[in-house]
Amino acid sequence: MAGAFSFKGCQKIRGPQIRSLLEAKDFFLFDCDGVIWHGENAITGAAKVVNALVRHGKNVVFVTNNSTRPRENYVHKFSRLGFADVMLEQIFSSSYCSALYLRDVVKICGQVFVIGCEGLRRELQEAGIPCLEETDDPDATIYDCALAADVKAVLVGHDDKLTFLKLAKASCYLKDPDCLFLATDNDPWHPLSSGRILPGCGSLMAALEVASGRKATVIGKPSRFMFECISSQFKGLEPAQCLMVGDRLETDMLFGFNCGLDTMLTLTGVSQMEDAQEYRNSDLSTNHSLVPDYVVDTIADFLPAFEELEEESN
Amino acid sequence: MSGSKSCARLQGVLLQQLLDSVDSILFDCDGVIWRGDQVIPGAPQVINLLKQHGKRVFFLTNNSTKTRRMYADKMSTLGFDVTEQEVFGTAYGCAVFLQTACGLQGQKVFLMGSQAMRQELETVGIQQTGVGPDHVSGGPGDWANVPLDPEVKAVVVGFDQDFSYMKLNRALQYLIQKDCLFVGTNRDTRLPLEGGRAVPGTGCLLQAVETAAQRQAQTVGKPSPFMFDCLASQFGVERERCLMVGDRLDTDILLGSNCGLKTLLTLTGVSTLEDVAGHEESGCAERRRMVPDFYVESIADLLPALQG
Repeated sequence: MAGAFSFKGCQKIRGPQIRSLLEAKDFFLFDCDGVIWHGENAITGAAKVVNALVRHGKNVVFVTNNSTRPRENYVHKFSRLGFADVMLEQIFSSSYCSALYLRDVVKICGQVFVIGCEGLRRELQEAGIPCLEETDDPDATIYDCALAADVKAVLVGHDDKLTFLKLAKASCYLKDPDCLFLATDNDPWHPLSSGRILPGCGSLMAALEVASGRKATVIGKPSRFMFECISSQFKGLEPAQCLMVGDRLETDMLFGFNCGLDTMLTLTGVSQMEDAQEYRNSDLSTNHSLVPDYVVDTIADFLPAFEELEEESN
Repeated sequence: MSGSKSCARLQGVLLQQLLDSVDSILFDCDGVIWRGDQVIPGAPQVINLLKQHGKRVFFLTNNSTKTRRMYADKMSTLGFDVTEQEVFGTAYGCAVFLQTACGLQGQKVFLMGSQAMRQELETVGIQQTGVGPDHVSGGPGDWANVPLDPEVKAVVVGFDQDFSYMKLNRALQYLIQKDCLFVGTNRDTRLPLEGGRAVPGTGCLLQAVETAAQRQAQTVGKPSPFMFDCLASQFGVERERCLMVGDRLDTDILLGSNCGLKTLLTLTGVSTLEDVAGHEESGCAERRRMVPDFYVESIADLLPALQG
């Protein structure tokens, strides 16, 4: 059972309270976009926080719905931005976890029709999952296009090359009830560092749900599956040991709730305090699952707690 | 009317009584009078005989890929005796909606739709940008900063074979502006073709845009009453003496119920008698409105009352 802190409950916490949390938790799960960095810029102090957590013997993993890049890219990005020694094994992306799902849960025998980026295909290929080749048949029209035999799953991720033809093909494959319907995530839109937004996988998934009359199985947050991937890798992991830190109520906080983790909202990204309060005041009890346990302005707010800890040990 | 609504097979005396009780008959097209380019056997004879018997016949379709003129031409080719004014498709309906309900005559919209939609818009004096292919180039930073035409007052979504991520993105960028209107032609999930094949319908594209923008569009097509209201006011149609014939319970029949028309389901298209039974037994008021008054296997079943 998660620790009963009196300061729990959608409020901003500071030094001594953060320190108590740091002492109580062993395992820190961080979302990336809007928490650790904005695009190519690390959040001020983020690298120090992560390095300090590791120095204090804490486990740190990164849990992201972003399916566009292979995990190696993230390793290089962390290194570029001054994070010491972040390893592949600490990175859980929705594309990597989709590959694990197909390989280990479904044990897929057959091909996967992928609507997604090169990053998603790379993760699938690395896991040995056969993906349908992306052929650009110039004669193919929506009324008459070749379909492959042996397609056992349709996987939808972020795809900036989405076309109507791909949607049409996917909905043909999905007519077979034995063909699985998976989505990397259901985020309706993604923010860019400029503050602008772009359509997310959720919008593509919605189109395909309407076309097929079926609901997708969502791999990414807020679904539990990525936490199951983490637990499989870190044996003996208990939810009570964990703190989920994110910026998006509908994905990160709900994910934490669904997995029985304490949750912390950082205000450097998508969701604001007002949004959290709206969910808290909602008559719909399901909305209460999106309310964070703790709130910080930025994860750099951890630093004074570390400084204190380090002073004491000197 | 209270009590259970039973959907009766239309034949014999019942058929004759129904025809005597109506002056106007509205037909859906896809799955009712044709499938793709193949006419439903007997359909032209039904339409032509109805007119000869003094009935007024109209066509009400959610399909936005043709102008009224294109429909009339297709119908003539297939043997139907029809004029342009008798056809109400959503390309036309959407243009009228934008002109009258939204007051956009002389203005511009971002169109995710067909050339037919562009033509119907031009006919009512509305300009558009966006129709046709739109391939992605550059990177995410460029996409979020696509140049927006400041004259665009609405995003309009219909069936679009050129649908792409880039178009979806453009629509999103316009819709982020709160005063930008958002109109869709219809929510049909699939567009039926000959031989029982189907492709994803406008409903899919609309859902993609609505999800990204976190906003709902107003829609013009069935079951919205807009096109029926246009038709009724243009032709002075009396609802009590009007029959709606369709193949989809959630568009054609629901429209009929909502507008106080008699309703007839034909089984040559999307919905089945199992679907009807499901709605009938559901106990849900909204679903009961999708139970038709009558059904036929095909509209050719009307011929016995019209011949001889």
